[in-house]
Amino acid sequence: MLLALAYTPPEAPIDQIAAGLGSNGLPYSLPIHPNLVHLTIGLFVIAIAFDVVGALYPLEKRVFRFLALPITRGGFHDVGWYNLLACCLVTFFTVAAGFYEMLTAVPLPGVTSTFGLGGMTTMLWHGVGGVMVLAVIVGMTVWRGFQRFFWRRDMGRQVQWLYLAVGIVMFAVIGLHGTLGAQLAAEFGVHIAADQLLQAGADLHTALP
Amino acid sequence: MLELLPPLNDHNLPWMDTIHPIVVHFVISMALIGFIFDVIGVVWRKPALFEVSFWNLLFATGAIFVAIIFGQVEAGLAAPYGAARNILDIHTTIGWSLAGVLSLLSGWRYVLRSRDPQILPVSFLGAGSVVSALIVVQVILGDKLIWIYGLHTVKVVAAMREGLI
Repeated sequence: MLLALAYTPPEAPIDQIAAGLGSNGLPYSLPIHPNLVHLTIGLFVIAIAFDVVGALYPLEKRVFRFLALPITRGGFHDVGWYNLLACCLVTFFTVAAGFYEMLTAVPLPGVTSTFGLGGMTTMLWHGVGGVMVLAVIVGMTVWRGFQRFFWRRDMGRQVQWLYLAVGIVMFAVIGLHGTLGAQLAAEFGVHIAADQLLQAGADLHTALP
Repeated sequence: MLELLPPLNDHNLPWMDTIHPIVVHFVISMALIGFIFDVIGVVWRKPALFEVSFWNLLFATGAIFVAIIFGQVEAGLAAPYGAARNILDIHTTIGWSLAGVLSLLSGWRYVLRSRDPQILPVSFLGAGSVVSALIVVQVILGDKLIWIYGLHTVKVVAAMREGLI
């Protein structure tokens, strides 16, 4: 039984497609996941921020009157709802692209991150964390929908304070999570052509003219 | 005087990691989603979405100036090499231009919203599509600087300091 478990395949799965990958470890020149991340993070943060602005409307309406900027409380909450809805839809693709690109990721060996973690550990935390963040975003979108269409339908403040608190906690979680992702690129050189070429001993003057 | 400047870390930065790519989350996503909401609002006749895209556009416009400030500092410390020098020049030029273009678009949108927030002329959608295309080009250029040339990554900074590039 133990012997059966100790079996190692003759080639790593990545070797089956290695010939089709570029120097950045991808079959295309620029990774997709980090670009979708712009949308996930931007939409989530602005959604919560505008719901905070909508919730604090009684305090700030004089400021907007001073600025001669016509506003409605419902308009702020519309930003909170539609941006979160868009974030929820996009993030499925963000996570999917992330998992695809993680399959072909080769973190630089022997590197320890600012957090004191190795490449594989960072990638596992970022991968599992990404699914958890997606789950929370989906949950918060459903929660936000119930508040908008049922529980607080006729109220000026469309969101519960608890919802805003969870959103602000998520800013910190996503900030930490994003830092892990940034470390995978800037410290472990994942999918960065120049880093991988340098690791392979190439001369960048000729490899990346 | 130079010794008064903060020391640079292994990313060749005075702070932990690049800030410009974090700030551009808000420019890219707010400007692009603003255009998408405008299109959906016109096609599906949902004027409530025009208010959402107005605020997104306004936020993108504010954020791009912050992105440029950090972008300029980090570009100055990037030590680009090879074709990255050229790409960084074009990225910088388009970046400053986008600040102007987004400001104009926001101003135009403010006037349209003041007149009638329920109506959005097709010409604004046309302008929005051009600006969105410009943003996509700008993102691709920025992507090349990091994902191909690895500017500000630890490995490239180390090679630069060893005189390898």
